[in-house]
Amino acid sequence: MSTGWKILRRWMRDRRLSTLSWTAGLIVIVVITAAFYPSLSNSTAELGESSSGTMSALLGLSSAIDPSSPLGYLWIGLYANVVPMTQIAFGIALGSAAIAGDEETGTLEYMLSMPVTRGTIAVSRFIGAVAIMLFSGALVCLSLIASIPLFELGDEVTTTGTDGSTTTQPGATTLDAFNGTLASTAVGLGFLGLAYALGGITGRKGPSTGITAAIAVGGYVLYTISNSTGSLDWLAELTPWKWYVDDASLVLGLSWAVVRPVILAAAGFAIGSIVFTRRDLQPPK
Amino acid sequence: MPTVIETDGLTKQWGDLIAVNHLDLAVEQGECYSFLGRNGSGKSTTARMLLDFIRPTSGTSRLLGGAGSDPAIRGRVGYLPGDLNLPRAMTGNDAFDFFGGLSGSADDPERTSLIDRFGLDPTRPVRELSTGNRRKVGLVLAFLGDPELLILDEPTSGLDPVLQEEFRTLLAERKQRGVTIWLTSHVMAEVERVADRVGLIRDGRLARELAMEDLRHQTTGRIRFEFADPVAPSAFDGIDGVTDVDANGADVTVSVEGPVAALLRRAGDLGAVHIETQRRDLDDIFLELFDLRATDDGAANGPADEASA
Repeated sequence: MSTGWKILRRWMRDRRLSTLSWTAGLIVIVVITAAFYPSLSNSTAELGESSSGTMSALLGLSSAIDPSSPLGYLWIGLYANVVPMTQIAFGIALGSAAIAGDEETGTLEYMLSMPVTRGTIAVSRFIGAVAIMLFSGALVCLSLIASIPLFELGDEVTTTGTDGSTTTQPGATTLDAFNGTLASTAVGLGFLGLAYALGGITGRKGPSTGITAAIAVGGYVLYTISNSTGSLDWLAELTPWKWYVDDASLVLGLSWAVVRPVILAAAGFAIGSIVFTRRDLQPPK
Repeated sequence: MPTVIETDGLTKQWGDLIAVNHLDLAVEQGECYSFLGRNGSGKSTTARMLLDFIRPTSGTSRLLGGAGSDPAIRGRVGYLPGDLNLPRAMTGNDAFDFFGGLSGSADDPERTSLIDRFGLDPTRPVRELSTGNRRKVGLVLAFLGDPELLILDEPTSGLDPVLQEEFRTLLAERKQRGVTIWLTSHVMAEVERVADRVGLIRDGRLARELAMEDLRHQTTGRIRFEFADPVAPSAFDGIDGVTDVDANGADVTVSVEGPVAALLRRAGDLGAVHIETQRRDLDDIFLELFDLRATDDGAANGPADEASA
């Protein structure tokens, strides 16, 4: 068994409990929200109709999304904010722990007294963090797929307009659940990569977690301001929220923009690893 | 004998702080070299540079003929840091399996005997272990796989006297096998027992290097005399072996190396009424070498500086 595999396996094993806790929490949110679809779908439709521009931005609503449809309901209730925010938080926790977490406690230094290169540790930890993120995302996706038939989310919905015309909205499908969760997990991966890079550069968990979280929250605020005022569009383009919410992969299908956070994660890995292999280790706190 | 640890002008500087200053060291195979100094003097920084945790500002270091950054070299080194941090959920057995697995020593047949010798319960998680028991885990890890070089930073810190003795015995056994040992310690009895040579580091500089034999030679006797009347220190001038005279009125303490007959004759001539022998131990020697007593009294640090390498 290679050294890298041993390090990867141990790191993932040490995170079993936290991974299962995060994932279980998110699955509970997904299933409970899905379970309330039949009774809350009308409320979300009314909320969508009465919302201002800012509120629509916060809800992730665009003209192409019908909030009374199963996909519109899941989008407003889960995938426009709750699911990606939780996955971002999880990604930040994993990215910060990968290098900076163990460096801060001193366990990384001890590991480096063994016949192990820093590069091996950097690669193993990043792969481990990404694998945990994908595993968690897959379970969330499966929970949504299982919820679709259980709570009538797969049924078509026909609505009658004030002029008497009828519109039929499709029900949620397995592919929709996959698209939505993949896009959301990709955003989480992007922030994982950013936290990893800052951890690799600083060797400290505080800056890695704090700065990445500030960028995530600041990006969300910037996006909603930009969406409601029409200004700062160029700046909002830099945040993943812009494409994530505008493209609404759960409802409208995947777009190529999903590779943006993946590229960010890859860049974070490259920068964090390069700096980590060249700098002094921080003394344990 | 091949040189196992070699540093040439090794320097580490952070801003204005020079943690290690042009350190030149050479430790030969099979030698036990004790690196001594006060807290913050640069001992651990030197160890961290040897193992490539931090990179020198200037100068070079070599271990076992290679670079500390080479994993193959580190695989031949047993290391115990001053402050050992292991994943808290790990048990001792987990640590031996995992870290031993990384260094290829998990199946060392001596593992069980090492655990037994240190009286360790390897099934308990690290988070439940006392400082001393965590130290035991670290010591077993350091000795696993029969490394060619042991780098031990304060190895007996937190261990009870019985285990300290067990550690010294184990160290002596490894030394007999030809293992090279680089040791920092504040326990002078330990140093005296195991070291062949000591290096004294102060403010990042190697202030002095001494063979243990030379140090032992300095643990010369002291003889305290009480006289009927005050005696001047100069009264002991010219006596062979007398290295120091501390006179306080009629109470005089004399340090002497070698035969004492001449000293006793002179004391008798001067009217000594009481005699008491004392022996300086290594702690006294080190305190003097570091001039700590003078420092405590507010005096300047002198001799060690003069002897700086």
